[in-house]
Amino acid sequence: MNAGPLVSVRGVHRRYGSGATAVHALRDVTFELAAGTMTALVGRSGSGKTTLLNVIGGLDRPDSGTVLVDGTDVTALDEDGLSLLRREKVSYVFQTFGLIPVLSAAENVGAPLRLARVPPVERERRVALLLELVGLAAHAEQLPAELSGGQQQRVAIARALAASPRLLIADEPTGQLDAETGLSVMALLRGVVESEGVTALVSTHDPTMLALADRVIRINDGHLDEHPGPRAEDRLDGHPTSRDDS
Amino acid sequence: MLRLVARRARVQWPLLAALLAVAVVGPTLLGTCALLLTRTAEQALETAASRATPGQIDVTAYAVTIRGERARSVADDTRAVLTSALAPFATTTAARASSAMRSLPGAGVSAVAYLSGVEDLPARTQLAAGRLPRAGATPAEAVVLESTARQLGLSAGSRVRLGRELADDPDEGAEVVVVGIVRPLPGAGWERDPLAATGYDPAYRDGRSAQPVHAYGPFIVDLADLLGGGSTLDRLEIGAHPDLSAPAVRDLDTVTQAVLGADRRLGRTLGDRVRIQRVASRLPSTLLAARDQQRVTTAAVLAVAAIGLVLTATALALAGRLSAGVRGDETALLSALGVGRGQLAGAALVEAGALAVLATAVAIPASSALHAGLTRLPPMAGAGLATPFGVNAVQVLAVAGGALALAAVLVVPSLRTSSQGVRGRRELLARSGADLLLVAFAAVGWWQLRDQPAGSGSPVDAVRVLAPALLLIAGSAVALRLVWPALRLVERLAGRARGLMVALAAFEAARRPQAVAAGLLIGLGCAAATYGVGFDATWQRSQQDQADLSVGTDLALTLTAPPVAGQGGMVGAASGGEVSPATDRGIAVGQWLGGAGDPPRLIAMDTTRAEALLRGRLDDGRTWNDVGALLAPPARAAGVPVPAGAALSLTGKATGPTPLTVTPRLLLQDATGLRTPCVGAPVPLDGRAHPLPDCATAEGSQLVAVSLPFVVATGNVGTGHSDALVEAPEGDSRVAVTLTVAGTGSGASPWTATSAGPAPGQLGNPAAALSSTSAGTELRMTTTVALKGPPDAARNLVATAFPAPGPVPVAVSARFADEVGARRGSRLDLTVGLTPVPVDVAEVLPAVPSAPGAAAILADFDALSRALAVSGDFDVPVDAWWVGRPTRGDAVDLRLGSVTTRASETARLTGGPLRAGLPAVLRLLVPAAVLLMIAGIVLHVTFDLRARAVEMARLRGLGMTRREIRAVLLGQHVGILLPLLAAGAVVGALATRVVAPLLVRSDTGAAPVPEVLPVWPWAAEAALLTGLLAGCALAVGAVVVVQARLADAAYLRVAS
Repeated sequence: MNAGPLVSVRGVHRRYGSGATAVHALRDVTFELAAGTMTALVGRSGSGKTTLLNVIGGLDRPDSGTVLVDGTDVTALDEDGLSLLRREKVSYVFQTFGLIPVLSAAENVGAPLRLARVPPVERERRVALLLELVGLAAHAEQLPAELSGGQQQRVAIARALAASPRLLIADEPTGQLDAETGLSVMALLRGVVESEGVTALVSTHDPTMLALADRVIRINDGHLDEHPGPRAEDRLDGHPTSRDDS
Repeated sequence: MLRLVARRARVQWPLLAALLAVAVVGPTLLGTCALLLTRTAEQALETAASRATPGQIDVTAYAVTIRGERARSVADDTRAVLTSALAPFATTTAARASSAMRSLPGAGVSAVAYLSGVEDLPARTQLAAGRLPRAGATPAEAVVLESTARQLGLSAGSRVRLGRELADDPDEGAEVVVVGIVRPLPGAGWERDPLAATGYDPAYRDGRSAQPVHAYGPFIVDLADLLGGGSTLDRLEIGAHPDLSAPAVRDLDTVTQAVLGADRRLGRTLGDRVRIQRVASRLPSTLLAARDQQRVTTAAVLAVAAIGLVLTATALALAGRLSAGVRGDETALLSALGVGRGQLAGAALVEAGALAVLATAVAIPASSALHAGLTRLPPMAGAGLATPFGVNAVQVLAVAGGALALAAVLVVPSLRTSSQGVRGRRELLARSGADLLLVAFAAVGWWQLRDQPAGSGSPVDAVRVLAPALLLIAGSAVALRLVWPALRLVERLAGRARGLMVALAAFEAARRPQAVAAGLLIGLGCAAATYGVGFDATWQRSQQDQADLSVGTDLALTLTAPPVAGQGGMVGAASGGEVSPATDRGIAVGQWLGGAGDPPRLIAMDTTRAEALLRGRLDDGRTWNDVGALLAPPARAAGVPVPAGAALSLTGKATGPTPLTVTPRLLLQDATGLRTPCVGAPVPLDGRAHPLPDCATAEGSQLVAVSLPFVVATGNVGTGHSDALVEAPEGDSRVAVTLTVAGTGSGASPWTATSAGPAPGQLGNPAAALSSTSAGTELRMTTTVALKGPPDAARNLVATAFPAPGPVPVAVSARFADEVGARRGSRLDLTVGLTPVPVDVAEVLPAVPSAPGAAAILADFDALSRALAVSGDFDVPVDAWWVGRPTRGDAVDLRLGSVTTRASETARLTGGPLRAGLPAVLRLLVPAAVLLMIAGIVLHVTFDLRARAVEMARLRGLGMTRREIRAVLLGQHVGILLPLLAAGAVVGALATRVVAPLLVRSDTGAAPVPEVLPVWPWAAEAALLTGLLAGCALAVGAVVVVQARLADAAYLRVAS
């Protein structure tokens, strides 16, 4: 497992709106993520979890501060650079699964590989491998609408892993699942982090999921409040700080 | 719920505005069509009536044989009948009357003359000397024609006493004083004069005597003097001209019925005061034909309205479906909150009703403005149909009805409860059933159209109105069925691609079933637009073809009086084209006279110049020159040149004791090929030279035939009084007659002599020889006359400058061939006038020029006149001048008759007031279809992309750039649009080919002749499709760019 930070977030601010009605989604957020770890980001609805994930993944831009992913300054990238970043280094798993409705499970999983212009034979081999990994080899040709929520999320995870990203961002991946299914999905995530060597940042507000994380970062009204995860309290690489807190 | 509807309207106003925009199009089209069918139709009838020629609307009453004391009352009553029949229109009348023939004692030989009275004489004559007669003078004042004055040696101041009427009448005679000399003006009705305004006829036959007499006249007195002078009127003619400059449709209908009944009314009014009376007018048929034309145009306008309604309904169904999709969550929430299905339906009805009211409010002024604008554009503006902005009740009803019906279409999708995006089995079955039903209806419509080419005859032909719309929508539905498998194929191929963009675009295009409604609209819109362009081109081409065939040549001058030598030269100079005399009249074929009022027609003209003169479509790659070559004689006849004014004389001698006379008839041909007879006075065969009339009145004339009917002289030659011979003549008489043409060299061709029918055996050894002498050219004709037999038996020697032609080669129309059972090589016997003419069928044509749809025969004018001439018939029928490739339009100024050109006929057929509505409304269909189609596309793409905004954001999350997302979206939509547009174009082309020819009508509502050829104007269609594609691409591109820009992380903010 890589001991260096894969993600480095420093002094990030993000505000929506202006004046009296301005909403400060992120306030001077600074932290780092070690490579090969699974970090849980927890907080209430509206606390800034998704904004933070989007800023790290390049789907949103901070008003100030820097975000380094695998040595790349995300905040300095243009649109195409951000797209390339998401294509090569960062993958997403969405709360609503994020599958393309008209594509079958296999085609969804193969989409990032097509973006990377992987040859068809290799693409099909890897899709089969990933579907096998998430236990859906038998459902490869089914459309998302024909799958259960848990199966859809498994497909989403397989798709997120397809292009072998360095960072996997999961935004409430169990938000629409029942507890048992959610737990199995988290277990799957935990498993692929270990098997694929991926760094995972997972937002959730389900305390039962925290047990699977190496580290837990709490966010509250745009401020971070970090705790080591139960699985890896001793593997914290750095201490997050919040200027508001200090 | 009302509050909910109001609040939702405030929030979703862009959606409702889009729905309203689509919903306005159909009612606007309906309102415009309603105005075209009401205001414009009435105006078209009125304009057509106001533009009608006098010949089309004048009413003429004829009365024959009126005793003198009743003449005035008959004239007054006749005038009253005509005026009342034409009420309420102001009417001007003009009367013309001719007296019965009276003896003319002072003419030297037994002769007759007659009086005439002509109203509006200054407009009908040109005064050459003296003045016009005044009414009430004693003796009556009269003017005579120049020729009459010349023959009788009359001048102003001459007194002429006319003797008793030839009829049994005790009248003592009438004296007139000549006060002026006039010459008749062409086109002034002189063809109806007893002597056709020739002023003199040396061989007049009035039917009462076997012998011809000299006839002189008219002695034109004031009409009042004639009517009050006690003379028996042989004929009275009163023409009435209604002033239709500002007609109302109701008045036109009234007049139509009144004129139809005027003949009977005149009969009742005049009773036994006249022997025969008749009212003749083309006015009823003109107005009824206008109604027929209007019916044809009405059906076409309604057909376009039906297509527009179907298009709008399809667009609204799409819009309703899309809006229902957008509101799916809201509907589900309301249902979950306990709102019942009825309440939801009520809300939908309220909303649709409000939309219908708004659409009506917008569509009424919009349709009025569109109609006013349309009428100010060609061809309606040129047809005099420009109309100011206006609203009428029919328009309001049509708009409101259409809006309500379309609102119902909008309501249906909002009541559906099936899950979005997935079609249930029942829905698929229903759609398949609907498609099958449409195809079945379309097939029935096509079959009905094909089976009833003349239409149903009802005011509105439902088949013609609905069939095009049915065929287009059925074709589009079937094409749509074929597009999706094609997209599936593309999807399979694209799936093998390495990249994501092509594959994803193909997957999206092929797997989104909700695009069916949009696909139907796109296919139908494209089909309707391309069909509109194709039908317009087909219709225009057909009208051009009909005009070509109906005129038959570039310019036809239909004569009101027989032509005179040299007239062709005048026509040629005035028109600048190639001129030929033409025959166009009914004939008998054997015993067959054709149908009632539809006799077989004989068309003859100079076929050696067929390509220059004949117009109309031929099939099988034939040209008119090919046809003409089969009909024309091998060489032109070369007769004896007769310079203008050359002296002609006849010397004849007969052997034996029985005196013989001959009334020579000469046939002269002028430079244009016109052959006119010249009749001399009866000449005794006494060995002396007798001068003939001045036959050569034009330069370049040639004598091509001479007819010598020999008659046993009774001692009263030319008196009209035949005294029986004391003893019946017997034996033969050898006759030699020499015709001398002074001062010319002989013609080149040998002359042929024949004994003309019907009893050719009365003459033996006919011969003719041409020689040149110092006196000029002599044509010596000899024969042996059999004297036995009745004195007036045919003994007619005919000498011609050409050999006996034998059967005349003719081309016959396909209908003629069908009716008679003729084919190439068939031998037929025609009766032209009273002369039998044998013909051989050399060719069968689809139709004969100027006789569309008729059983007609085309012959060469030269060949026909030769055949008539050798039979002794020198009255070669000439009814018109045909001009090929005219360069000037001055022929009408000659006032020889009516002038019709191909261009004017085409303009009448395509841009006349009763026809202009059709091309105009077709041009309305195309932009309406394009507008609805693009509106539908914008709606579909907008709703589709909004519904997929999160998906777009997810694609960005996968690492796709905005550019790649735009490419995918564009690829997807263009991938759908292209095959749909192609399918629509194919459907439009098929409809143009299959349906358009069945919908094009002639101006009478019958199937056009020649047969309609479907026209697919490649350039116009390519331009239209390019424009459609560009418009669609622009609309899709704009929406895609906007939507791709919105596809950002905001859509992923679902949990924070």
